[in-house]
Amino acid sequence: MKFIFKSSVIAFMFLVGACTNLDLQPTNSVTAEVLFKDESSYRAFIARVYAGLAVTGQTGPAGNADISSLDEGFSNYLRQYWQLQEVTTDEAVIGWGDEGLPDLHNHTWTPANQFLRAMYYRIFYQVSIANEFLRETTDEKLDARAVSTAVRNDIKSYRAEARFLRALSYWHGVDLIGNIPFYTETSGFGAEPPAQATRAEVYSFIERELTDIENAISAPGTADYGRADRAAVWMLQANLYLNAKVYTGADRSTECIAACKKVIDSGLYNLQDNWRDLFKTDNNLSKEIIFAIPFDGLSTQTWGGMTYLVHAPLGGKMVDNNKDDTGVEYPNKDEAQQRYGVNGGWSGLRTTSALVNRFDVLADERANFYTDGQTKDIATITNFADGYAVQKFTNVSSDGIAGADLNHPDTDFPMFRLADTYLMYAEAVLRGGTGGDRAAALGYVNAIRTRAYNSAGGNITDAQLTLDFILDERSRELYWEGHRRTDLIRYNQFTENGLWPFKGGVEAGKTTESFRNLFPIPTSELLSNKKLTQISGY
Amino acid sequence: MMQNLQQKLSFALVCFLLLCGTMAYGQRQITGKVSDPETGEGLIGATVAVPGTTTGTATDVEGNYRITLPAGATKLRFSYTGFTESIVEVGASNVVNMTMQPVDALDEVVVIGYGTVKKGDATGAVNAISEKTFNKGAIVSPQQLLAGKIAGVSITPNSGEPGAGASIRIRGGTSIGASNEPLFVIDGVPLKNDGYAGGRNPLNFINPSDIENITVLKDASAAAIYGSRGANGVIIITTKKGQKGGASHITYDGYYTVSKFTEKPNVLNADEFRNVVTFIAPNRLEKLGTSNTNWFDEITQDAGGQNHSLSFSNGSENSGFRASVGYQQLDGVLRSSALERTSFSINYNQSLFDKRLELNLNAKGALSKNTFDPGQIGSAWGFDPTQPVYDPQNTAFAGFFEYNNSSAPRNPVSAYSQIKNNGKSFRNLGNLEATYSFVNWAPGLSAKLNLGYDATSGQQQIFTPTTYQNKIVSNQNGNIRSESFARINPLLEFYMNYKRNLGANHRIDLTAGYSYQDFNEQYQGYDAYNLTSNNLGVNGAGSALNSIPFYSEVENRLISFFGRANYTFKDRYLLTASVRRDGSTRFGPNNRWGVFPSAAFAWRVMEEEWAQGLRKTLSDLKVRLSYGVNGNQDIPNFGYLPSYRFGDARSRYQFGYDNGQPVFVTTARPNGYDPNLKWEETTSFNAGVDFGFLNGRINGTIDYYNKRTNDLLFTVNIPAGTNLTDRVLTNIGEVENKGIELSLDGYVLNTKDLSWNVGFNIAANKNKVLAIDRISDQGVLTGDISGGVGNKVQIIQVGQSVNSFFVFKQKYNADGSPVADNGTNDLAAMYEDVNGDGKVNDSDKRPFKKPAADLLIGVTSTFDYKGFDLTFTLRGNAGNYVYNNNASVGGYFNRVNERGDVFLNNIHTSALVTKFQAPQYFSDYYVEDASFLRLDNITLGYTLPKMPGKSTLRLYATAQNPVVWTRYSGLNPEVNNGIDNNPYPWSRTFVFGLSLGL
Repeated sequence: MKFIFKSSVIAFMFLVGACTNLDLQPTNSVTAEVLFKDESSYRAFIARVYAGLAVTGQTGPAGNADISSLDEGFSNYLRQYWQLQEVTTDEAVIGWGDEGLPDLHNHTWTPANQFLRAMYYRIFYQVSIANEFLRETTDEKLDARAVSTAVRNDIKSYRAEARFLRALSYWHGVDLIGNIPFYTETSGFGAEPPAQATRAEVYSFIERELTDIENAISAPGTADYGRADRAAVWMLQANLYLNAKVYTGADRSTECIAACKKVIDSGLYNLQDNWRDLFKTDNNLSKEIIFAIPFDGLSTQTWGGMTYLVHAPLGGKMVDNNKDDTGVEYPNKDEAQQRYGVNGGWSGLRTTSALVNRFDVLADERANFYTDGQTKDIATITNFADGYAVQKFTNVSSDGIAGADLNHPDTDFPMFRLADTYLMYAEAVLRGGTGGDRAAALGYVNAIRTRAYNSAGGNITDAQLTLDFILDERSRELYWEGHRRTDLIRYNQFTENGLWPFKGGVEAGKTTESFRNLFPIPTSELLSNKKLTQISGY
Repeated sequence: MMQNLQQKLSFALVCFLLLCGTMAYGQRQITGKVSDPETGEGLIGATVAVPGTTTGTATDVEGNYRITLPAGATKLRFSYTGFTESIVEVGASNVVNMTMQPVDALDEVVVIGYGTVKKGDATGAVNAISEKTFNKGAIVSPQQLLAGKIAGVSITPNSGEPGAGASIRIRGGTSIGASNEPLFVIDGVPLKNDGYAGGRNPLNFINPSDIENITVLKDASAAAIYGSRGANGVIIITTKKGQKGGASHITYDGYYTVSKFTEKPNVLNADEFRNVVTFIAPNRLEKLGTSNTNWFDEITQDAGGQNHSLSFSNGSENSGFRASVGYQQLDGVLRSSALERTSFSINYNQSLFDKRLELNLNAKGALSKNTFDPGQIGSAWGFDPTQPVYDPQNTAFAGFFEYNNSSAPRNPVSAYSQIKNNGKSFRNLGNLEATYSFVNWAPGLSAKLNLGYDATSGQQQIFTPTTYQNKIVSNQNGNIRSESFARINPLLEFYMNYKRNLGANHRIDLTAGYSYQDFNEQYQGYDAYNLTSNNLGVNGAGSALNSIPFYSEVENRLISFFGRANYTFKDRYLLTASVRRDGSTRFGPNNRWGVFPSAAFAWRVMEEEWAQGLRKTLSDLKVRLSYGVNGNQDIPNFGYLPSYRFGDARSRYQFGYDNGQPVFVTTARPNGYDPNLKWEETTSFNAGVDFGFLNGRINGTIDYYNKRTNDLLFTVNIPAGTNLTDRVLTNIGEVENKGIELSLDGYVLNTKDLSWNVGFNIAANKNKVLAIDRISDQGVLTGDISGGVGNKVQIIQVGQSVNSFFVFKQKYNADGSPVADNGTNDLAAMYEDVNGDGKVNDSDKRPFKKPAADLLIGVTSTFDYKGFDLTFTLRGNAGNYVYNNNASVGGYFNRVNERGDVFLNNIHTSALVTKFQAPQYFSDYYVEDASFLRLDNITLGYTLPKMPGKSTLRLYATAQNPVVWTRYSGLNPEVNNGIDNNPYPWSRTFVFGLSLGL
């Protein structure tokens, strides 16, 4: 027993010596020191900056969320950007009663709105991780880590892409909110809260950045699919310049034309033969799409993004499995699955008669509505049967084959495509920009219309080529692709002008306050960053 | 007094040693009687032993004994539970009679952290309860033993599931972002008490019948010795030990139970539903079925159960031994839920080297098999009651009625019949304590080493067959999820203690030590889906076309140094000071160590000379004051450290093609963090008075406390651009809890045949958020509800109780019914313009009531008459409110026809009163007063007076939860966090059992 006692004393002394260590390393994540020992990590990191547009966390379709101010599925970048750009306009209504959601179409949102909050934090999430990427890839750090020459060459392009993605999100911020907090990689982690920059200041920064990276980024058509190349930079420039008057008061249509011309003249892009194929699972093969957010049923899953854009508009008879359009019952047939490539609908999104009426619905194949069991006019937004359903985005290929997963589509989101370039070019010409010409503009517009009508029957004359026509044509061509709110504001039709069903919360529609051309800074942010001033009107 | 017949069994070793003794020379036979001083009757089963030898015996049914006194021995030691042990010199006479003296209540020893103290010398707010006062009934987990017994301790089961976890609040919650649960210490081993795969309540590994007593350390002075883990109080569980010198003893306790689902859910029956559909949605009549189904009847059952506990204990002069085994099986009132537990516990203690070294070895554990229900009680609330349970044609769904549509609700009976969700867990706890007293060279000095471990493993398998989940309604054809969990927490503690009387008037008791505890957890498993066969059930992962494995491992560590000094002057002035320094791996190097001091003072007024005259009325009076600081570090690991997390295979991003195949890149994400993360600190002040009247017949305690928590750990929005995410766990804000507690315990009657003891406690607590930086005015929304996505009905706002409800003020019609929405969503018509700005919008929500109770009340009554005993426990809360989420999510007419093209939904009967057309989640109509008084359990027992030999037998019957008085309209007023949303329902349970002692 004495032996036991003595040996336990010895064991104890040993343990005390060994057990004062409190420096544990994480097991489910790694420190930067460990991460960058593997040079492929730079690629993994830049891929994550891109993925911020598509997924919501590190576990697909949900889990280990990037931001937590909102339900993770709701917090998806594309989903919120799309919602603010479309549900606030005549192109879309949504029937769900989630708090703050009806306020979008009603133009009654407040700074406490959870969807605005999600978009806000998503934008600055992108900016912050792009900054972090730039901080981790300075020459100084790469020298210290003795990164190989081959990888350093890749990193040059990655850095340009990180700056592109940061500029893209800053553009969204400037467009949606206006005066926003502004910071770059030079303000380090945990620094003082950033100050608010004016809309014009951020605009100038984006402009400078895009000019700066134009040559550092891959030549048009040479980047991996999914990554931004020079044509994507031009498209972002074109968008920025087309809306410059809204952002700064100065018209930059000439610069917009120049950017569009670079895209068109590159000769790399052609209109897709069939418009409807642009929104199917094999749209990754399209020569029309310049920059896409890729989704994949098995590898890139989210409850936002294309999952939302395919499921949320499905409902009513579209997904009543047992019956087809004529009411014939098929007990073992899953119609929704066949037609849309998914396992059911979420019965949320439809459109208003304003969009439907813009079409020659019999001739224009872009009028891709589902009408059986739906009414064109809306009596109650919460009722799915009110308003035509839109079946633009699906999870089937151009050959009619369903995607690999019935929840998460393989279809990619076309952020920039050639038809948009054509229409921007035409609009900039009509707005008085120089460097382009009306004849070319008319040709581009008619190319789009010929595709839509499958004939020259829908073509317009030079006299018909007006700014108002372009606004409508953009809606016909690009509806539900996230452009509408910006377009309406450029035409001053979003708030104090312009009427559509249930604008302002009334059936006939009513005009709303012009301060709603901008969204507010969320309450949570105003409380945590005392340097910020609320957008005027809120 | 309850009479326990005890009989001595021959234990091999004792036998052998006794034989040795008998053969020795010069021995004497001593006989005598051990008696009770009050009644004069013999005490049965009292231990009589010869000190310094292994010789011992127990008294018989008359209190008589006979013992052989070895040669040279001159003393006998008499001991009996509840009486003071005494050693007497044996004179010339061979007859030694002994009248025992009862233990003074104030001399009873209570367990505190790293030591024990006489109850009369305790300076902190410490409450102990022992087996006799524990709650009775079919009790699975130790927490249930305490409910209603101690002032200021609130115990709310998470649900009515057998073996469900429970949420414990001691004097209110101190934290928002970190845990509010107290620290559990079992036989000296502090536990990590998080849940795990395959298990329910993490404390279910302890068989309640192995517990001797439970001590609750409520104030900082008592809990500060546990430093960083003591902010929410400490619950110390001491299990039964083998008694040195105790007679051998066997006990058996067994019972059978039956539980019933007795609630009446507020949904429409089939005929009522038909009427509502005719009225609301006449165009949907064709969607109605022809059946009359009560979905709750279909998924509930009368549940049986049984429990058997067997223990054996024995002791010799220098050692004690106790072993027990238990088996418990309980079915739940929801079909397919059950619990089966096999538990064991072993204690062995040994004195060595003339008692200089004491060894105490404990091992206990349980294997639990948990069958979980599929958790789809929600669909029973909404499923159309006119639809049938079965549809033999629907072979794709095993003959159950279904809508065969992914957006439709699922037939709950199909879920309860087809989904198999089985868990298995094994947790075991062991420790070796070695205490060495340096009596020879430093009297009063002792050293204690405590080596322990807490090991848990759990598995859970959920099998969903293709006849429940398939591509008609889902994107998967069947699913098998398997999770396994392993946790090992080694513990090493070493401390020294020095007790010394310095002259007649001064006494000191010093303790100093070191503690090391490591927590390592592994969690792994897989999701296998698209099954090609259902035949193998949970074992069929091999038949799955796809699977996703997962694995994670986390570790954290705590290292502590602690010290405590007690100083007593003239037995009446008591001072305690303690300090603990804790290091935790959860914080960065700059904030890793925290220091937690405390001080307490007590004055035993009745020890004063001038107070002796008061003794006739006042038998005890003690005044206590204490102050201390405790910490809370119960947060996730590595919140302070910059790190990157890799994405899984489903969150990759496409970068181009390789030979035409897309290339997906696994991403690395920088995580948000707060490098300055530190402890949350709770500073507490406590003032208390302990008193006794009528020679101890009535005892009581009054305490006042004020606890203030600083550096509150809380996840908040941070300015965009300063971190790598939008919300970060950081230190922000301040919360206060203050309250008053009163406990009274006394004998209403106490005669030879009849005694009636009543314990009463009441506690008032007020919780208030004092400050939250950066969120100063509006507050932070909490309290997710079912209904919509992201809807929250509670708030953390400065000046309000934590998680106050945050809702509109409903307008009411003259007849008392709420103003309905009439199909328009005109908020101004329905709700008051609280802020008076002429508009009714989000800004008109205001904090309204809160889930925490203002008052907690507990009453325990024990009535004994001859062989009969009648015990009951009453427990009540007042001022606690519940948001009736079942009513708000189901109580509106449009719900009937929301997806009328596919199916109809049943509604909550509240719609018949409110007439709401659309959901009104934010109406304060749904915030209901859930004050209640519950008869937790009532037990009638009978102890047979004449049993063969020296055995005892008691028969008993218990009714658990037979009645609850409340105005709350939902099923059960006790709801954790105050949002009532389909928890597993409570049941009424009847228990019939017997206890046998040999």
